[in-house]
This record gives sequence, structure tokens and C-alpha cells, in this order.
Amino acid sequence: MRNLINKLAPRSPWIYRLNAGSCNGCDVEMATAALIPRYDVERIGCKYCGSPRHADIVLISGPLTVRVRDKVLRVFDEIPHPKVTVGVGVCPVSGGCFRDGYSTGAPTDHYIPLDVIVPGCPPRPQAIIEGIVKALDVWRVRLTEATCCRS
Amino acid sequence: MLPFLKIMVKNLLKGPSTDPFPFAPAKTPKRFRGCASHDESKCILCGICKHVCAAGAIQMRAAEDGSGVEYVLWHNSCVFCGMCAHYCPTGAVTMTDNWHLSHLAEEKYTFCETSFVAFGECSQCGARIQPRPQVIVDQLGTRSPDRFLLCPKCKRESQVKHATDKNLIQLREQQ
Ligand code: SF4
Ligand code: SF4
Ligand code: SF4
Repeated sequence: MRNLINKLAPRSPWIYRLNAGSCNGCDVEMATAALIPRYDVERIGCKYCGSPRHADIVLISGPLTVRVRDKVLRVFDEIPHPKVTVGVGVCPVSGGCFRDGYSTGAPTDHYIPLDVIVPGCPPRPQAIIEGIVKALDVWRVRLTEATCCRS
Repeated sequence: MLPFLKIMVKNLLKGPSTDPFPFAPAKTPKRFRGCASHDESKCILCGICKHVCAAGAIQMRAAEDGSGVEYVLWHNSCVFCGMCAHYCPTGAVTMTDNWHLSHLAEEKYTFCETSFVAFGECSQCGARIQPRPQVIVDQLGTRSPDRFLLCPKCKRESQVKHATDKNLIQLREQQ
């Protein structure tokens, strides 16, 4: 039974969007990937959800500004294991154009382990969908090995 | 008839409007700015691209033995502004239409474009100069091809000699 669920689960992930102080560019593209029939992330079985407790795949955008850091980390810890994190845009991985700014400390991936990175400023909706497809593979491996992103 | 029926039938005939990606190649506009790409065979190491890159995505590290420069383009920092391609005098940096950039986080530090550009040699004294690839010689050095390959010192000397010769000829003609 568990095996069957593990096999079926990656076919319908819940996606959660976590804004870690982004400029809204990446968020618009993520919304575009979901809402516009031209891209339509739901055709690979994904659906955006409103609660971190339901999430399977987390899309993180933004450089993790000092102001939201604690809140973002608190929400991130509420997401159940095994979660897969996708850094959207160059901000989470290198800080992008906010690098070394007064309002950002270290970029997101110093605090939150990223699994997949989708660089771009902002990335195209198709690139985000490609990243989600990669995240599904990671998730499949994680379910069979029963590991989580912190292990 | 209800007007929406007409639209519906029209749309049904048109077929799906969803981009087939990732199961088939997606449509990319012709002038789309994807990731930047560096062509070391055209680079003259002027450093303009590094200077204008606001995101600090370009690094140029001199090799330890002094034979050239390692050129690194970090796709994970690049914001696709296209400034490097706009200001590169030789067209060595171009914006490609590649935007399949998503990768696993393990590849974070290897996900870059690295190329090695060797320094050139002055054709007269052998001193180290910026590289002079053949493409650039054909493009920019056609007026005086021999002088184009000289180091600044030899170039100055050759120019002085050229000017003096010209003056002498003029003087002789006047006498
Ligand atoms: S990657 Fe670019 S578009 Fe996305 S949040 Fe950062 S600055 Fe904004
Ligand atoms: S496109 Fe812009 S950010 Fe990217 S390497 Fe060129 S100048 Fe830097
Ligand atoms: S890539 Fe272009 S701008 Fe950059 S150093 Fe080479 S020639 Fe100069």
C-alpha cells in the first residue's frame, strides 16, 4: 500500500509558493505558469495550494531579506517532509541584483537547502515548469529512500 | 445564435493553445534573450563585458603562469540584461535562445561557462599583448595589418618612424 502511494503521489503534487522578499518578477512568472492556458502547470498534475501544511513542492523566490527571514523559515519548517525545494530566479541562489545589499544577508540557500535551481531574472514560465518536472524526479527518489531535504 | 458558440467552434478548430513544452520544443521568439554565451575565438580581453555586468556574473582570472585569462560566465548570477553582448566590441558575447537552465542544486558551482583566452605576442619584440585573433585582425586591423599586431611600445616607435619618413620626403620635395 505504501509503495502504491509512493508511486502515485508524485503524479499530483501540491505546489506552494514562498516569497522570500522577491521583487515580484518571479512571482508573476509563477502565477503565469499556473493561470495561463498557454503554459498550464496543471497538465503535469500540479496544483498550487494555499497552506504550507499541504505542500509537496516549494517554489522559493527572492533573496531572503533580513525583514522576512524569520517568518519565511518558520513557514518553511511547517511544510511536511519529504518536501522538495525549487529556487526560482537567480535571487535564491546568488542574491541576484540584490547581492551584498544592506537589506539582504546571505542568499536563501544558506538557510534553506535547495534541490533544484531555475536561474533567470525572471525565468520563463516554461523554464519553471521544467524545474518542477526535475523536482518531481527528486521527489520520487526521496519517497523511495524515505529521506528528506535536511538529511 | 449565441455569440459564444461561434467563438467556441472557432477555438475548437484551432486546436490546443497550450505550449507543448516540456514534451516538445517550445516556441522561442527570434530576439529572445536567453543565457549569454562567450566565444573565446573572438575575445580580445578588453574587459568591457565584466565592467558593464551589473550582476557580477563575469569573472576574468589571470592564469598563474601569465599565459592568458580564464573567462567564467556564471549563469546562476546572470540577469539576462544583455549589456555584455551590447557593449562587446567584437561580438564575442552573444545572447543565445537557450533558456533550458534549470538544474539540480549539486551542479550549482559547476553550472557556468568557462573558457581560456591566451594572451597574444607582439610580432616585433615578443612582448605580451592582448590577444589578436584572426577574425578581429580581418575586421579591425585591415588598414595597417602589420602595426595591428604590435605592442604599444613598438607601435609608437613604428608610428614615429613612419611620420619622420613622411616629413623627410616632404622636406626633400620642397627643396
Ligand atoms: S530573480 Fe529577478 S525577477 Fe526574480 S525575484 Fe530576483 S530580481 Fe526579481
Ligand atoms: S547578460 Fe547582463 S547579467 Fe548576464 S552576463 Fe551579460 S551583462 Fe552580466
Ligand atoms: S567578451 Fe567582448 S567585451 Fe568581454 S573581454 Fe572579450 S572582447 Fe571584451
